[in-house]
Amino acid sequence: MMLFLQQVSNGIMLGSVYVTVAVAFTLTIGVLNFLNFTIPTLFMLAGMLAWALSAWGVPFVHAGPMPWQAALLFAIGVTVVASLFVERFTFRFLKTRYGDATEHAIPLVSSLGFLLIIENLIRIGYGTDTQRFPGPQADLSVNIGGIFLRVPQLISLVIVLGIVAGLNWVLRHSRIGRGLRAIAENPDAANILGVEANKLVPIVFMLTGLLCGLAGVLFAINYGEVSPQMGDDIGSKAIAGMVLGGLGSIWGAVIGGLAIGLTEMLTIHFFGADTVQVAVWGLLLLTLFLRPQGLFGHHSIGKGKL
Amino acid sequence: MSGYWAGILTILAINVIMAYAIFLPVATGQLNLGGAGFQAVGAYGAAFLSSKYGLSVWLTIPFAMALTALVSFLIAFPLLRTKGVYLVLATFAFAEVVGGAILNSTMLGGPMGLSVPAFVEYQVPVVSALVVTVFIFYLMATRFGLVMRAAHDDDVVTDLMGVNVLGIRVAAFAIGGALAGLAGALYAHSFSFVEIQGFNASLSIYVLLYVLLGGTQTAWGPLAGAIFFTMLPEALRVALPALKGWMGLAMGIQGARTAPDESWRFVILGVLTVLMMMFRSEGLITRVMVEKLRFRRRTVPLVNVDAHA
Amino acid sequence: MTAQTPLLSLRNVSKRFGGLAVISDVSFDVPAGTRMALIGPNGAGKTTIFNLVSGFYQPDAGDIVMEGHAIQTVASRRRIGLGIARSFQNIRLMPHLSVTENIMLGQQARAGGVVEMLKPLSLFGRSHWRDEAETLLNDMGLHTYPGEVVANLPYGIRKKIEVVRALVARPKLLLLDEPAAGLNAAETDNLTAFLERISDTGVTLLVVEHDMGLVRRLCDHVVVLNFGRKIYDGPTASVQNDPLVLEAYLGPRDTAPSLANAEGCHAA
Repeated sequence: MMLFLQQVSNGIMLGSVYVTVAVAFTLTIGVLNFLNFTIPTLFMLAGMLAWALSAWGVPFVHAGPMPWQAALLFAIGVTVVASLFVERFTFRFLKTRYGDATEHAIPLVSSLGFLLIIENLIRIGYGTDTQRFPGPQADLSVNIGGIFLRVPQLISLVIVLGIVAGLNWVLRHSRIGRGLRAIAENPDAANILGVEANKLVPIVFMLTGLLCGLAGVLFAINYGEVSPQMGDDIGSKAIAGMVLGGLGSIWGAVIGGLAIGLTEMLTIHFFGADTVQVAVWGLLLLTLFLRPQGLFGHHSIGKGKL
Repeated sequence: MSGYWAGILTILAINVIMAYAIFLPVATGQLNLGGAGFQAVGAYGAAFLSSKYGLSVWLTIPFAMALTALVSFLIAFPLLRTKGVYLVLATFAFAEVVGGAILNSTMLGGPMGLSVPAFVEYQVPVVSALVVTVFIFYLMATRFGLVMRAAHDDDVVTDLMGVNVLGIRVAAFAIGGALAGLAGALYAHSFSFVEIQGFNASLSIYVLLYVLLGGTQTAWGPLAGAIFFTMLPEALRVALPALKGWMGLAMGIQGARTAPDESWRFVILGVLTVLMMMFRSEGLITRVMVEKLRFRRRTVPLVNVDAHA
Repeated sequence: MTAQTPLLSLRNVSKRFGGLAVISDVSFDVPAGTRMALIGPNGAGKTTIFNLVSGFYQPDAGDIVMEGHAIQTVASRRRIGLGIARSFQNIRLMPHLSVTENIMLGQQARAGGVVEMLKPLSLFGRSHWRDEAETLLNDMGLHTYPGEVVANLPYGIRKKIEVVRALVARPKLLLLDEPAAGLNAAETDNLTAFLERISDTGVTLLVVEHDMGLVRRLCDHVVVLNFGRKIYDGPTASVQNDPLVLEAYLGPRDTAPSLANAEGCHAA
């Protein structure tokens, strides 16, 4: 029983990483109707940069390695910039000229292009190996009623939930948030009402970069390892979490992300590690077939601008 | 012909067939991001029959195609009821489920893969690719092809014109699946070994991208995309050593293991994708372009009838 | 079917969207061979009628009867086979297909069957479908250049092409949704003559239109809708004297315009 509960808590901790990335996905798709495949790559970018900066220092400036705390912040910053760069070359070019079946996917395809670019540039620059991230000594744990919780993971969970709650508050109560929600519901009406999409859309990408950067950095701290492949796995699980929770719903992404983490841990516990892929993706496929709007999502999102 | 060029032709042939496999659903408006899954079904189908029962390629390849066609047909119905981004995700999810299932299947070798006893020379994939190419050109010139492209542009009106749009899309998906199965089976018999790790998300992504790059309005597009993607590494072989040296020096790294040379190819594919989506989202080869290059049709210039009134 | 049976008949048709009754208890007949206009202020429900007849929506109540058979439960893709074809208010041609290909799409309902689907339309030699499409385009005064549709052609030409696409299906009933919208006077004249020629071949026309000049010239019978209800069903000649019609377009007679009555004002 204790082992089971331990696995549950591990699942939740793991899920919190997925949550951050899932929220980034769901925010972008909710506001912009854009499935941004670059998101897992940004996550990886943050992690790899944090390592690279702490191991080698800033490129082209042979000043030696950075202390890991500074590396983390720098990595997040670069990730945000990268995200804005992606916005400039993907979303700006969505053209609804013909209204045909594949037009909505233009930014999606561009984001796939960026996925290839960033992932492979990192591979070229830093190789394909997994690297150790120095970070704080991540062995601190607390024992709550017989369950071990690692302190960094606990802190990450708290940070993540705090950020998500904050994001939710911003969306609900601030002017920017109202503008974003207006764009999500009806971009043309929002435009007529004076909501300046050109100013607000980059904010979504900035938030995306921030969330992915944070997630990547927290991952590096918690698990101590980064690799150019780390985005693939996390990205898939985050997408699954987003769909489960419902496209466009932030709390849905939270619950979905945690649920996926839980499913993963329990599947490993009962059936072994190899079955995770089938379990998670099978669940996702069933959700898409039977209840595509997930737990909390809207019916109309994601079907392409009609 | 040297072994090296035989290898390139084999890969080119397989890539062309895969390109057409993805082209068919995309031409009707369904982005298929799960190509690797269908190819895996074909590859493992053929590999299994060859290694377990020792069947000849004349049996394994048709079987693989039929199996993949059946799987595609069955999955198409629930799949094609999802729309837009949900469809893309569902195709991706499907490929992952296939990958995961094979990974866990001891019968299929699991993570260790399967070796494939029966071998085919490069002529088999090349001839297959030629046949497939001719077939697709033919198909696009029929009413079926017309209706496929109409469904892509406006499925509501196409339905009102009397077309069973879902039926067309399922058919395109199933035929595409069969082609992916063929590509997989040819791969299995050309490289004598299959492992599921090779049929991954990256494969699905870059097949879709080079098809979109080439253009999805005509049968020329996927051909162009596949040829470009296959030949790109050859072009890079010249430029690469210089680039690598410079990168290493500039970044100040020593000792990290260098990435496979493949990586530059993907960077270029990525850059071209981004540029293409920005400036010419229909892809390189469009209907208009093909039309302009055709001189044989009798063309009467448009007379603006209203101007005479 | 006797000589008296109308080609199309709407009987007590109603349609709601959420809380809004878009069509309320509308009934009218369209006799075979006539040219009928369906007019009314914006929002009256005219395009909804077209969408109901072509099968895009199902009515909540009432029957849609074609040649004596109720068709409201027939799937939309089968209605062209019943002889109903239409054009659209905002032109819906296929942007990535050539002009000829757009027309050939209209032939689809007559070309059913797997064998026909698999015959090449252009590879070796000519196909009779392609010939028919090009001949019809020429007959209708549209000498075509098989290029891109949307980009290269003028608006008026595209409108006509859409009508030709509907025609090539050899319909019994042709629903035209604002065929003259966006056309200048000369183009409208041209279009009206075009439609007269079509009607002369026996096709029944039901036209939604705001241009009363075209309606007066082309149509002998008019049905007027206002807020989803039928308020007039009679000859074109007397429609502009009908008090209900005047009120619908211009507002109530004896009250001065004021905020309280603002909803009664519509542009004619």
